[in-house]
Amino acid sequence: MISPVKIWRRQKEIKQNLGKKGKILTWTIIYVAGSEFKTYAPYPVAVVKLESGKRITTQLVDYRKEDLKIGQRVIVILRKVREGTNEDVLVYGLKVKPIF
Amino acid sequence: MVSIIGYYTTQFGELWEKSLSDLIEESITGVLRNTRLEVGQIDAIFFANMLAGVLENNLHTPSKIAEIVGVNIPVFRVEAACASGGVAFHLGKNYIEANSGKTILVVGAEKMTDHSPEETTSALSSAASGEEQEAGLTFPGLYALIANYYLSKYHNKEEAMAYVSYKNHFHGSLNDKAQFKRKISIEQILQSPYIAYPIKVLDSSPISDGASALVLSSNPSTIKKIKKSVAVLSSEVSTDTISLNKRKRLDEILATKLASDKAFSRARLKRSDIDIAELHDCFTIAELLAMEDIGFWKKGEAGNRINELETMYGNNGELVVNTSGGLKAAGHPVGATGIKQIGEIFLQLTEQAKNRQVKNTKFGLAHNVGGSGGTAVITILGV
Repeated sequence: MISPVKIWRRQKEIKQNLGKKGKILTWTIIYVAGSEFKTYAPYPVAVVKLESGKRITTQLVDYRKEDLKIGQRVIVILRKVREGTNEDVLVYGLKVKPIF
Repeated sequence: MVSIIGYYTTQFGELWEKSLSDLIEESITGVLRNTRLEVGQIDAIFFANMLAGVLENNLHTPSKIAEIVGVNIPVFRVEAACASGGVAFHLGKNYIEANSGKTILVVGAEKMTDHSPEETTSALSSAASGEEQEAGLTFPGLYALIANYYLSKYHNKEEAMAYVSYKNHFHGSLNDKAQFKRKISIEQILQSPYIAYPIKVLDSSPISDGASALVLSSNPSTIKKIKKSVAVLSSEVSTDTISLNKRKRLDEILATKLASDKAFSRARLKRSDIDIAELHDCFTIAELLAMEDIGFWKKGEAGNRINELETMYGNNGELVVNTSGGLKAAGHPVGATGIKQIGEIFLQLTEQAKNRQVKNTKFGLAHNVGGSGGTAVITILGV
């Protein structure tokens, strides 16, 4: 079961970073994922340096193949991160998408 | 001075007929037989294992080992992800230094192939940060982030990584305990599918079962009876942030650099004194980084130097790397790996490495990494 308490604890970090812009420092595409993410593979994950200097590690969404590059500008958005069973709460978290 | 006086490793691979307990028992029985020691002469056991608690609800292994071996001595379990073996060895050495004249076992074991690749991948990612787990990152994924950064920064192609795999598979073909005893070509490696771009299946160490054991002692009469022993000149551990994104640089493993500097200083040796090394090649990029971070090669140089294969057995290089086959070809039963690396150096320095024996070796180094570089252990041995 996905713990709602754990999700609640993460909320404050989400608020701090939402809407922030930054650049991709490095990226990968995960083809072989763990059990919880198997259904989403393949998916890209990037280390992003925000304009504030803070770095986050997160998935990249709404991208074209050519956007997968070091230095690509991105913005932090709210997206569904994963889901458990029918009775679990949906887990939302931070992802990034390219901006131009 | 602490000496290693014996080593035994099980076969590494998919050992479906053997449980974790079977593997532990075989490695302990094997190393006692090799050293002609009775179990009553052992004063303590240090046991390295990462995943039994997560994968098979199997904890309190010290007591389980006491039952297997039939002892009531102190047994300690050590966990530092893939560096569990190296850290267990470090603690075992310190235990002897604090208890002069003792003889101990350091055992590493892992049972991984009872589970699906997804289950094992998830269990391994327990050694990553919460943020990295939430982003769906896997261990190959973490090293892929490093690899992509490194290759881009130093203008290297994926082929540079392939040479590590090519070399280590050749070495694996010379090691009867290796999981993969077949050579592979650069083309095969480059054509294998990605598991986390730019890391491919044949850049990656496999999921393995296995156990390895060493005997350490500072008891003069015990050491004297054994003809083949090596001195532990240094064993140093360093740590760094668990999160990749909090590291100062993405093209180095700082913990490896720090542990290396301490280990060479303690052993009073230069990098060029090392004849033989076992480096932590969980993914091929990791061996390239290790060559630089330990200080054998300069930063940024590895991608252009590896294709000369000067560290391959038979090429008369000054340093031969991963004669066991490395994690890549020998296999990577996580808890056993750090012990097997030190064991391989022991075999080389005592001239028991058979058809992969490097001539005239005097000093050897083992490099064991936990996670994506959160822990690093450097062990230097000499004869």
